[in-house]
Amino acid sequence: MKWLSLARSFLRNLFRRAQVEQALEEEVSSYTELLVAENMKRGMTEREARREARLEMVGPSQLREQARNARTGAWLTAFWQDLRHGFRVLRKNPVFTLASVLTFAIGIGANTTIFSMVNGLLLRPIPVSGSERLTYLVQRRDHWRNSFSYPDFEDIRRNAGKTFSNLAAVRIFQMEGLNIEGKSQTIWTEYVTTNFFSMLELRPALGSLIAPTENVAGSDPVMVLSHSYWKTHLGADPNICGRKATLNGRAVTIIGVAPEGFRGVTPVFETQGYLPIGAYGLMQGQHGKDLLTERTGDGVLVFGRLADGVSLENSQSALAVIARRLAEQNPESGKNLLLSAHFLGGGFLSPNGANPLRVVTALFFVLSGLLLLLASANVANLLLVRAITRNREMAIRSALGAVRVRLIRQVLIETMLLGITGCIGGAILGAAGSRLISGLPIQSDLPIVFDFSFDWRVFAYAFSAALLLALASGLVPALRAARVNLNDALREGSRGYSSPRQRLRAVLVTAQVGGSLMLLIVAGLFVRSMQNVEHTDLGFDTNHVVNFGIDSHTAGYDEVRGREFDRQLLERIRAIPGVEFASVAATVPMGPEILGSALKIEGYQEPAGQPKPAAEMNAVSSGYFSTMRIPIVRGRDILDSDTEGSQRVALVNELMAQTYWAGQDPIGRTFVRMDDPEHTWKVIGVVKNNRSQLLGPILPAFYAPMAQNYRSRQTLQVRTSSPTAAATKMIMEVVHSFEPAMPVFDVRTMTQSLNTPDGFMLFRLAAAIASSFGLMGLVLAVIGVYGVVSYSAAQRTHEIGIRIALGARRSQVLRTVLRQGVVIVLFGSALGIATAIAAARLVGSFLVGVSAVDPATYVGVSLLLAAIALLASFIPAFRATRVDPMLALRYE
Amino acid sequence: MPSNQVELLRGTLDMLILNALALAPLHGLGVSQRIEQVTRGTFQVKPGSLFPALHRMEERGWLKSSWGESENNRRAKYYELTRAGRRQLETETRRWKQISVAVGRALEANS
Repeated sequence: MKWLSLARSFLRNLFRRAQVEQALEEEVSSYTELLVAENMKRGMTEREARREARLEMVGPSQLREQARNARTGAWLTAFWQDLRHGFRVLRKNPVFTLASVLTFAIGIGANTTIFSMVNGLLLRPIPVSGSERLTYLVQRRDHWRNSFSYPDFEDIRRNAGKTFSNLAAVRIFQMEGLNIEGKSQTIWTEYVTTNFFSMLELRPALGSLIAPTENVAGSDPVMVLSHSYWKTHLGADPNICGRKATLNGRAVTIIGVAPEGFRGVTPVFETQGYLPIGAYGLMQGQHGKDLLTERTGDGVLVFGRLADGVSLENSQSALAVIARRLAEQNPESGKNLLLSAHFLGGGFLSPNGANPLRVVTALFFVLSGLLLLLASANVANLLLVRAITRNREMAIRSALGAVRVRLIRQVLIETMLLGITGCIGGAILGAAGSRLISGLPIQSDLPIVFDFSFDWRVFAYAFSAALLLALASGLVPALRAARVNLNDALREGSRGYSSPRQRLRAVLVTAQVGGSLMLLIVAGLFVRSMQNVEHTDLGFDTNHVVNFGIDSHTAGYDEVRGREFDRQLLERIRAIPGVEFASVAATVPMGPEILGSALKIEGYQEPAGQPKPAAEMNAVSSGYFSTMRIPIVRGRDILDSDTEGSQRVALVNELMAQTYWAGQDPIGRTFVRMDDPEHTWKVIGVVKNNRSQLLGPILPAFYAPMAQNYRSRQTLQVRTSSPTAAATKMIMEVVHSFEPAMPVFDVRTMTQSLNTPDGFMLFRLAAAIASSFGLMGLVLAVIGVYGVVSYSAAQRTHEIGIRIALGARRSQVLRTVLRQGVVIVLFGSALGIATAIAAARLVGSFLVGVSAVDPATYVGVSLLLAAIALLASFIPAFRATRVDPMLALRYE
Repeated sequence: MPSNQVELLRGTLDMLILNALALAPLHGLGVSQRIEQVTRGTFQVKPGSLFPALHRMEERGWLKSSWGESENNRRAKYYELTRAGRRQLETETRRWKQISVAVGRALEANS
């Protein structure tokens, strides 16, 4: 009954507002009339009676407001009014609105970008049902690692009992050559136990997946493709299932396509094809046979799905039992064995369950959090500035009966409106930012995929960041705005000179200048570090060199045919017009791998305390030093006549010569590789030192002829005199017509090749992110300084008018107004430098060739910021000098 | 003013208004005068609290209102109790009596 009545009133108040208002008005005036009549009955004159009644009634409009507040649904009406009022206010102050929304958008955009990275790298689970119950195993013998030998995996699986509903082993990352109907391309495959897909509970997008009952022996091995490989490399061919193909020259049958979005259990790296692990020996030839039987190997990763009702803790104790049992069965290898399981989570299989990317992302998270803080200070500041102009509005509203809560709510609603608009802008900016970062060309030999796309987590984060930002920046101004002194505010247009409000704003802007200076200094350090890295003398010439990845193994070649292939290929390439030099090498500088060996050197005994002799190694063909322009200082180059059958020869770098044959002639000296004791290598030449990796010291290195130290995976390097693009096309054509079954991969110029994760890439990425933060911080600081100085100048128009009228010179006025900006910049810079020193210590380990307190960076960046901030305060100061005293005095 | 006191006062005001309307319909000023009269001037209800209270109670369905002529021929809005209003008055009265007896006992116990 009561609820029914309330609901009826609620609807009437909402939809019949005019009527309700009319009735209220009539009721109040009738009450007044009755009161007047009553008073006159008691003998007052009409004048007295009216006066008395007015005193009793206090104020009709306040009375009505009080009655309104008692109505059902009053809050909704009020909220609606506040909202509309808010919109009006924001529309009427476009500069303020734009500045705040922009600030919000920058702060939220930067945070959303970073969060989308964190989400993509650390938080988002792999797209598999029940992924929260997936684990990977690690073992400890002498140290923790995530890899197992296949026989050990089988023992664990046999003994696991009911702890895991499934345990699967994966042999990760083989690059192979897939040939379908004469078209050959590389593919990154994984070899998995047949229960792999059923453990993940995946359904095929097409055809079927490898089934637990798959029989490996007999027919051709089966193969499952990833969805994106099927789409990008095979044109989403709907008839792919059942197709015969060759992989490394051996027949396979494609049976299906994995579901869309599934990139394997090792995210960031994209697995493109899956084969049963039982086929590994067949597909990989001699060196693959041992994987399944060698107990000392560590060729597979182990994944398990926890059985229902088993917690991770339960599984640890079960694994401890298994480890003991394994130790009994294999006393030799099982000594000290410990097993442990970690949740797969975001998919990083680090042996201690920690994620190495956490430090880097945490760092950027801190920076972006700081940016959010700066943004919030900025909006708070703008709101405080505006609160002063609104003093009068607030005073009038409270004189008309608005309660304080209502005024606070009004300001908060406006801030929320700004926040929501800014949040939308921020989400758009953030999406653009994360697309930019996702799309950065990563010159990696591994199929790295960064998926920072937005999901509900990112949107939830952006929204809560906006809410927090709006609250943090709106609360203090709201409380202050509502604390109106009616008398002061109404008596005079607000002309407060140095109120506490002013001081709070100056402090906020100072903090802001400091914060953004800190961001800028950190950015400066990253940029300097990147420049140092880029200007490192590499010892070779990257210009006009193009690299082509080839692997004769992927075309099904054995070693003998591979050597012959190299010889003939180089012959053909060198015949192409515009090609100056061509050569092949086992590794390229800044590549993902470096070969090396421990050595026994004739006539050299390491001094006590020195490490045993060792050197980096590269296997190269003739022409390598000309292609790379690495000068040969003494002796001769590698020749085509240095074949497998002739004396083993090597060139050494200057450092190797100085280290092991100090003061002697290294030519003709010999050494033996500890991993190949049958052959003796004779030094035939010395080359200048050059860098194979970006960081760390240059190490002793030697270069062996490819023919004497064969490796099927090679990089063909070509120095051209014609433009590289045209030459690249011709070279590709020559390779393809010479051997159509040979996929060519990772084609890029040597300059591009340097931009790998092992090369410049991380430095560039860090510098780019830090710089964009610095830039955004700078924009915020400029908005802040400009806002404060121009506002206080506007506040002082009256005062300035008087001063000018009394004969103050324009330059004096300029100085007075500018002073505030100078003080802010001075204190802000001091604060910024102090915090930057603290912050730089944190990032110190990421810097190369620049100290964390590098004076040049600190001074340079501080001067830059100071100049821009002063310019921002100069504009309003200059405008203040243009004040026409007559206008200023008449104003108000 | 602490909030519990407001609560008490609001409850009391509601009861006084219901009580004033128990005998006959009255307009706003009549309610205020009647309360002043029956409490012998202890409570003077100003329009600032009277209007919100009347409107609140009407929306709850305890009162209903209609326009009529006052004793000196002016238009006035008259309020009267609904059945729910009478029930509410009974509840309030009972509760009030309980409280006053309890408070009375408590004070006696100390004197």
